[in-house]
Amino acid sequence: MEPPRTDPVVEAYKAGIDRTLLIESLRRTPTERILAMMSMQRLVEEMRRGLRAASGRSK
Amino acid sequence: MTDFPGLLGRLCESQVEFIVIGGVAAAVHGAARTTLDLDVVYRRAALNLRALVGALAPLSPYPRGAPPGLPFVWDERTLGNGLNFTLTTTLGDIDLLGEITAGGRYEDLSDHAAEVELFGHRCRILDLEDLIRVKRAVGRPKDFEALAELDLLLEIKKRGP
Repeated sequence: MEPPRTDPVVEAYKAGIDRTLLIESLRRTPTERILAMMSMQRLVEEMRRGLRAASGRSK
Repeated sequence: MTDFPGLLGRLCESQVEFIVIGGVAAAVHGAARTTLDLDVVYRRAALNLRALVGALAPLSPYPRGAPPGLPFVWDERTLGNGLNFTLTTTLGDIDLLGEITAGGRYEDLSDHAAEVELFGHRCRILDLEDLIRVKRAVGRPKDFEALAELDLLLEIKKRGP
């Protein structure tokens, strides 16, 4: 496989990434990282459900 | 929500030969972004196709986004006749890839995958350098931010935080 190369677009995106989140993630085990991701998904789904319910009530 | 432990458990317990790539591999390497599906490159040997069919059969796999009622049969013949499958199952979405851009097949990626303990199973995960290389080769605009995150993770791993 070819060696990785630098992409200016990708480099520009780096400025917006929170390194502390990555460092925090690296403190976890791989299993804990997946569980954290699933926990975030659960939160997003609950928020969406709440928004849908609120939208239904306001009609 | 995709049940990643459930899907990985089914594959591992059925002794399917596969390598995790995509968002779940990124998360294993420390990425903070979320993904909705499990992407795996599977070995296209006859025995492995049989194992894969057995692993997913109880989960009612069906082509994702396809209208209901298609004559889709989840068996070794279907797997053998196709290559890449984007499926929905009762445990969530899974992409089964026989070959990927810039990565090739399971055998090509095998030397670039590490065994990682996940939910009590030893799973093979594409290593960070090659995950970056493959994502870069695909070149989708939606991957730019994910690539930036993976690049940063590689920098942190090489140089420390």
